[in-house]
Amino acid sequence: MENRLLINLIPGDTFLHRLTGKTKVRTFIILLVYIIMSFDIRLIMPLFILSIIGLVSLRPNWKKVKYFIIVITVVNLLNIVLFWLADPDIGSYWCGGGNTVLVSLTERLFLSAETLWYLSVRFIKMITSFMVSLVFILSITPSEMAAGLYSIKVPYKICTIFSIAFRYIPDIARDYNNIKVSLQTRGVELDPKKASLKSRLKQNALILVPLIITSFERVGNISNAMDLRGYGRGKTRTYYSEHEELKADKVFKAIYIILLLFCAYWIITQNIMPQDFRMWYPFV
Amino acid sequence: MNKVLKTLLGVWNTKTVVAIAIGAALFGVLMNFGGIPIYTNTRLTTAMIVPVIVGSMFGPVPAFIACFVGNTIADLIGGWGYWFDWSIGNGVLGFIIGLLPLYGAKINEGIFKPLHAVIYAITCVVGNAFAFGVITPLLTVAFYGGELTITFLQAFAGGIANTAVLVIIGIPILYALARRNARGRNLVMEEEKEE
Repeated sequence: MENRLLINLIPGDTFLHRLTGKTKVRTFIILLVYIIMSFDIRLIMPLFILSIIGLVSLRPNWKKVKYFIIVITVVNLLNIVLFWLADPDIGSYWCGGGNTVLVSLTERLFLSAETLWYLSVRFIKMITSFMVSLVFILSITPSEMAAGLYSIKVPYKICTIFSIAFRYIPDIARDYNNIKVSLQTRGVELDPKKASLKSRLKQNALILVPLIITSFERVGNISNAMDLRGYGRGKTRTYYSEHEELKADKVFKAIYIILLLFCAYWIITQNIMPQDFRMWYPFV
Repeated sequence: MNKVLKTLLGVWNTKTVVAIAIGAALFGVLMNFGGIPIYTNTRLTTAMIVPVIVGSMFGPVPAFIACFVGNTIADLIGGWGYWFDWSIGNGVLGFIIGLLPLYGAKINEGIFKPLHAVIYAITCVVGNAFAFGVITPLLTVAFYGGELTITFLQAFAGGIANTAVLVIIGIPILYALARRNARGRNLVMEEEKEE
């Protein structure tokens, strides 16, 4: 279970760690727009490579990250197979009508070159989106995130919600685990291999009640502590974690502004001037 | 009208902020650990209980934010890519479920009657149909273009799973919370007694 928590509360000391929260959050949001806006492999592939470089430069705990990457790859592959089962002909819609059948199992289930292309681009897009968020989450601390969100004019109470939620996820996950273990010692079977779907659902509900009560019992403590420190008195807020912009921040600022302009250009041209293809497909 | 708006927004003091944050964290944890996958990117999860609790205590807008933030965080630490259409869809569902105080089910004061349970079940069905049948597909088209078949299949699976969880687990939990809060409600304050 501990393997599945990637939140770091102490700032690291690599290049990406040392950027301000403002830079991290803004770059991340623009990169998300960049990933979402297109299915074009020519745009996604460079970002994919950059995100791998970014991940390596962060010097993460590889044992943790490896587990994460394996799980995500398997889940996404499964998703791709389900996508294919839902509509085997999806490629012809995306790649301009062609339909080159490679393998044909039955009349409905066939694999065409276009579908294969679409599904692999989709897979890379999903993995890129995962890699970017992995780099983001590994490089940021909850309070830097709140500071970054505040810099894009999100009301500071919402920023606080983000930072407190991030701060308490490890605690709540630990409680979840404790409750699960103590239920197991009382003889409740929670192993997915041994229990049926119905009984697992029932047991999930059994964990739920004590988890809700312990989680919401904290609310009083935390809010009293915050009130005592004068939270919510002022209209604005400054953040202790936010330091002055370094040289690297200025470079990143230039990059994300250019990227933002490019995204705006791309989205406008894609929507105003209809293309004859929905996604770039080299083998038409 | 003003009163309705006030119930919708909730009171934004420190306690609300912290409760929403804890709700969002709980949502993230349940989404990642307590889910049983049923279809692509769709899981049978008990996380949908969070807006019921936050909504019953603080109102619909806090429930919306808890859901939206919770889903965003779950995506961030769970790493199945970003699907803001789903985050917003879940937020809208949270809002509709969180309407509890509006029709008189005051969990904080221990009031939850069978009639409220029926209305609650109806809002669950309507909320799921609206959030995943209308909002999410619309946003999917706007954000990602196309893929409607899959979104509808996902929405259908997710909607049914959510409704089942909300009704089967939600109603007993609401009863339990109401009973818990109703303890000591039969006591009358000294001053009130004299009047």
